[in-house]
Amino acid sequence: MDWNQIIQNTIRAAIGVDAIYFAIAALGLNIQFGYTGLVNFGQAAFMACGSYGLGMTAQYFGIGLWWGIPLGIVFVIVLALIVGIPTLRLRADYLAIVTIATAEIVRLFVRSVKLRNIFGGTEGISNFSREYRDLNPFEPGKTYGFAPFKFSGYTLITVLIGWVLVGVFAFLVWQLMRSPWGRVIKGIREDEDAVRSLGKNVYAYKMQSLVIGGIIGMFAGMILSLDRGSVQPDNYSRDVTFYILTALVLGGLAKVSGSIFGSMLFWVIFVLSDNVLRELTRNGPIRIGDFTLIQSTQVGAVNYMFVGLGLMLLMAYRPQGIFGNKQEMALDGR
Amino acid sequence: MWGSSSKIRKLAMKTLLFLTTALTVVGFAPAGSFAATDSDYSIIASVQNQTLVDGSTSRTPLEGVTIKVTKVDGALVGQAVTTADGLCTIPVLSRDDYVIEIDLSTLPDGLTLIDADKQKVAINRELFTTNTKRVTFFTGRGADAGASTAERILQRLSDGIRLGLIIAMCAVGLSLVFGTTGLTNFAHGEMVTFGGMMAFFLNVNLEIPILISGPVVILLGGLFGLLLNWGIFARLTKRGIGLISQLVVTVGLSIMLRNIYLFQFGGRTKQLSSYSKQVNLEIGPIGITPRDLTTAILGIIVLISIALFLQRSRLGKAIRAVSDNVQLASATGIDTRKVIKFVWFAGGALAATGAIFRGLDEQVSFSMGSDLIFLMFAAITLGGLGSAFGALIGGVFIGIFVEMSSLYFPSELKAAPALFILIVVLIFRPQGILGKSQRVG
Repeated sequence: MDWNQIIQNTIRAAIGVDAIYFAIAALGLNIQFGYTGLVNFGQAAFMACGSYGLGMTAQYFGIGLWWGIPLGIVFVIVLALIVGIPTLRLRADYLAIVTIATAEIVRLFVRSVKLRNIFGGTEGISNFSREYRDLNPFEPGKTYGFAPFKFSGYTLITVLIGWVLVGVFAFLVWQLMRSPWGRVIKGIREDEDAVRSLGKNVYAYKMQSLVIGGIIGMFAGMILSLDRGSVQPDNYSRDVTFYILTALVLGGLAKVSGSIFGSMLFWVIFVLSDNVLRELTRNGPIRIGDFTLIQSTQVGAVNYMFVGLGLMLLMAYRPQGIFGNKQEMALDGR
Repeated sequence: MWGSSSKIRKLAMKTLLFLTTALTVVGFAPAGSFAATDSDYSIIASVQNQTLVDGSTSRTPLEGVTIKVTKVDGALVGQAVTTADGLCTIPVLSRDDYVIEIDLSTLPDGLTLIDADKQKVAINRELFTTNTKRVTFFTGRGADAGASTAERILQRLSDGIRLGLIIAMCAVGLSLVFGTTGLTNFAHGEMVTFGGMMAFFLNVNLEIPILISGPVVILLGGLFGLLLNWGIFARLTKRGIGLISQLVVTVGLSIMLRNIYLFQFGGRTKQLSSYSKQVNLEIGPIGITPRDLTTAILGIIVLISIALFLQRSRLGKAIRAVSDNVQLASATGIDTRKVIKFVWFAGGALAATGAIFRGLDEQVSFSMGSDLIFLMFAAITLGGLGSAFGALIGGVFIGIFVEMSSLYFPSELKAAPALFILIVVLIFRPQGILGKSQRVG
């Protein structure tokens, strides 16, 4: 790999599938966390709902792939009820604890050996996306586009559909937040008691926000598994939620463009750091004297260390992110 | 005003940098020196025959039993026949999911498995805590199957109490910090892991026996807690950063610390060198090593001391007062900042204590704390967020409940019953057993 290639990879990361599914998941998380103030740390589980919804149609029910969407929505609603009913009346931290726990349990369930014939265990589910592949007008093996935006026909269709979805959801979120519903939602974030005193059912609004955000997150999981051609339980670990959260905070909470640009920027930085470190350690570890600074097997850990540090610094010094508006940052309104 | 805020900003930035470098450079030796034995992975199967003699069980190893290891999809990985010590080792390529099966036709006549549905044991990648994973098959005659159910329950109870003591010890700090500052610290698991890393460094790399290095580790854990408060959370609070934002900071801190541990320690689980090989003592029907018995007794002593400290001492009373009502406490002349500092110190020290016990009980790994954090949350929610006594009771209860439930639940889903408790408690008694009831919208 040379530096030219690294620069191309970095630029391509801005519009690649990773940035797309992060952007969609972040748009959903933004409704919950940015606009409503719900600390949902289980967005990965909502994404898994979509993936397993798709995967199970073919594997388990033997029905068309597109039934995965209603199936996924059912999963999302069930999950939102499980985490929402006990916690939405309580302080924000309870939702954080329960969502993170539920997401982890969901992952353990779908990867368990006992339920292997339903969810496919650790290998997950593959061979479900045939219908989708058949729809692809591009030739899978051919490369389309121009440098640095080169994609194989196999990926290109997902990239195109993905960006259309990002556009649709961005428009939807934007319109929702301009609507009376959105004003109530933002009111809940600012002062829950005030909204309640206006006669609004805060509990119901919070639940709706959780479900809508979850359904958008579900599409992120679908895009991911359509691109990978398989449903993998370990794509939905708790850290995935935190990386999406980092992307969201980076772009700016409570801002539609923030979710999208934040995800693009997250992946640009991540791919750049990853590629550069891998290039530097390719011919052996970096040493300062006798001290081994970093070797190639440690590159992954270093990247995620930076993600964690970045999230801390952002929250401490620029909680509104790059594009956000400080006035919209009323996470601690209550 | 801007000047001073940017000064604080610079200071905080420096602190963060210091924290990172201190952890990477001072705390640990250069990468690679951590290397313990780096052999390949293997599965050790053990076949033990249980007989009931004078009301107590005795176990004898069985020779000549065939054990097969397959991948989850059924592909054969390897098979072996047990030797005179009832053991056989089957090397496997990687830390992965496997199914271990005992060939019943090779058992001596009249013997069968005590637990008929344990003929195949599934090992999850995540249960692979060391390079070797040990699986034991218990055989016996049909007659003592009844006795063995009771025995299994007692064994689980004993395991559960040990797990519960560790959870309780770790969770007290989490609950105290929540009680006094209102912060839900998602990085508390990493404070536990810090203790484990330090214990490994002192015990294995510097070869200091755990009896001497233990207190040092506990002190280091306390200082680490103080450092986090001084370097991050006290500053954030001073700058008026809200609790939810601080909660997100703890998430970032947790990701960062966990990856620092991964960077230095590597992804494998490793054993502390003190007391690593011990033979089971048979106390009635329960098999427990002298080490585990000692840690359990020590654990009970630690928990009782915490309870007495909170109940009797001046500082303990001050902590409870601050947890109860910060404004009122400071109005009565309690220095709340001092109390908060102490709580971080105590929380870190207790987390490190729990980590040493956990490290002796199981092994040390970069994720040992984050694997427990969820059980800790269940424990403090059950006990009542912010209540230290609640955390003690909740921790022990969760430990026992989780171990007992694995009698009926596959062990890879051990955490699910804890979630079930969490949700039931939040629906019916959100303030927990000992918590202060809050206004619920």
